[in-house]
Amino acid sequence: MNSHFQSAVVSISVTVVAVGIAMAFVLVVLAMMGHAPTTVMSMWLEGSAGNGTRFAMSLQAAGPLLFTGLAAAVAFRCGVWNIGGEGQFLLGAMTMVACGTVMIPPGPAWCALPIACLLASAVAASWALLATVAERWRGAPIVLSTILLNFIAVAVVGMLVEGPLHDPNTTAPQTASMVEHLRLPILVDGTKLHLGVMVGMLAAIGLFIIARWTMIGFEVRVVGLNARAAAVVGIPVWSRQVLVMAVSGGLAGLGGAMQVSGVSGMLSGTSVSYGYAGIAVAMLGRLHPLGIIAAALFMGMLSTGARHLEGRLGIPRDMGDVVQGVVVIAVLVGSMLATQRFMRPAQEP
Amino acid sequence: MINESLFIIVVAQAVTAAVPLVLAGVGELTAQRAGILNVGIEGLLLTGCIGGFVAATISGNGMIGVGVAMLAAMALASLFAWATVMMRADQMVTGMAINLLAVGGSGTAWMLAQAHGYAHMPVEAGFTRGIVPWISPETQQWLSSWPIIGPIIFDQYGLTIVVGLFTLAVWWLLRRTRAGIIIQAIGENPDSCAMVGIHVRQWRCGLIMVAGACAGLAGAYLSLMRTHGFSPLMSGGMGFIILALVIFARWQVGGLIAVCLGFGLVDATQSLLQGSGMNQVVPYQLFQALPFIVAFSALLIFRRGQHGPATLGQVWPSTIK
Repeated sequence: MNSHFQSAVVSISVTVVAVGIAMAFVLVVLAMMGHAPTTVMSMWLEGSAGNGTRFAMSLQAAGPLLFTGLAAAVAFRCGVWNIGGEGQFLLGAMTMVACGTVMIPPGPAWCALPIACLLASAVAASWALLATVAERWRGAPIVLSTILLNFIAVAVVGMLVEGPLHDPNTTAPQTASMVEHLRLPILVDGTKLHLGVMVGMLAAIGLFIIARWTMIGFEVRVVGLNARAAAVVGIPVWSRQVLVMAVSGGLAGLGGAMQVSGVSGMLSGTSVSYGYAGIAVAMLGRLHPLGIIAAALFMGMLSTGARHLEGRLGIPRDMGDVVQGVVVIAVLVGSMLATQRFMRPAQEP
Repeated sequence: MINESLFIIVVAQAVTAAVPLVLAGVGELTAQRAGILNVGIEGLLLTGCIGGFVAATISGNGMIGVGVAMLAAMALASLFAWATVMMRADQMVTGMAINLLAVGGSGTAWMLAQAHGYAHMPVEAGFTRGIVPWISPETQQWLSSWPIIGPIIFDQYGLTIVVGLFTLAVWWLLRRTRAGIIIQAIGENPDSCAMVGIHVRQWRCGLIMVAGACAGLAGAYLSLMRTHGFSPLMSGGMGFIILALVIFARWQVGGLIAVCLGFGLVDATQSLLQGSGMNQVVPYQLFQALPFIVAFSALLIFRRGQHGPATLGQVWPSTIK
């Protein structure tokens, strides 16, 4: 049995066990609140995948998490702690809405839509690169600067939503609706499952290919494992980190653009916390692009299921966040245990 | 004369705003000196907020609220300690997971509290201004009427003096005692410490718990003293600001107090400006973002090459034999 296959088996089983532990924990808590675990589980499955429409809803909820999860994973793989997915996601969404309302790109949909998406990614990537510049120039830790930039981005977006982008026909803090040809096509009638989710899956597969079979993917992984060793063998560490940060920010921004153009078509002042959830998705997917597809789907099911449970049994949907937190800790601890038990320490990323 | 009294009001507000920052910051700073980077401090603050609020509302007693806030935050901190110190999980990601847990847990608790009719705190459960608890109103009023130091020092919540003394004690501990040297040595070189028989893991777990208690108490200050209520996500990123301030203070207790007071001044000035009609001219989101812009600028002012404790945020031991 080769070691690559072995490590994949160990990773997957650790993750599945960790998810099981987290679910069990929450079921116990809910049981103490007087909800029978079997009812909760069947209700959750019914709400998240009970029929085609519900499963499409879960897939749609997985869309933004797929993008923010990939964004976090790309950065973490390279040892760049980009926690700024939240702000980058919002800025991407904001740029998309701006493109769809006040500065509509020229041409029909096949031309205007890609331009708007590129613009959204570019804005988000530049925002992310602020943190890289701050680190290079003044030694500010990226972990912290990206978090602080999140809060600043929320305020910037809020200011634009109530300022230049505000819908003049309402007093509510929201933008006008985007023009029809910049909305993403809906894949399943009667749902909001849009093309963006497919784009996210393609992005994951593309990243998998890049990480696995290209030089640049290899270099990025080496930098993540040991930046000093990477520098010694001649890998341009700084430029790889810049590249990774730009790709990470761009992915988060693209996710925001896809979400807003596929689902709501406008932006209101509320924060969505897809960025922070993306970190949980990345950890649950073990920083592996294909794992992240599965993790995002699970988290999507978690959120639609939680909404269903809130409606039916009155269980606060915030319990979904609790599951996320417990899952991440269980995965982390489980992978450390597995490393000690089944593998030599150096093999775990 | 007007300007002078205005100045005193702003300084007094700055002290009020700085108290939770200093308290949670000192705990975080001490843990960071020992090499523990706890990004979950935001979640611990939030846990303190909701724990204190729920316990005080149900029991009708503020002191019970304070106690429960500290215990709840310590419970969450112990999960962090177990995962990072005992199980060697990554501190950064575990910290973010702690934040997620706290957001979900506090949201759930808040929904349940509302559903069971505990959405409003009885008046007597919250703390009023008073430099020590149970002080007679006359004494408090007399102390507060002193010129200058009256409003700045005496017209504060009871926690202010406690935080002042606690901070002084931590400064002395880090500077003058054997324990302080051990804490710093653990952050610089845990391998050597372990070799001379210092229990690195016990020290680190202990410091995480103390930092958790500090953050919980700071959270209780927010919900029980400053606002007398709870709202979802009420810590609003204060924990992340504290992380920036600790770096800006270069891991020095004295520096931390100065930085927090300076930050409190910015905060007090912005609420003064906002109250005086500036929000007609400047969008209110700018005021909301101001603390984070200041914190980000503080990171930029931080001089390159000045690193914190050598093993900050690293997994220890690095390999398992």
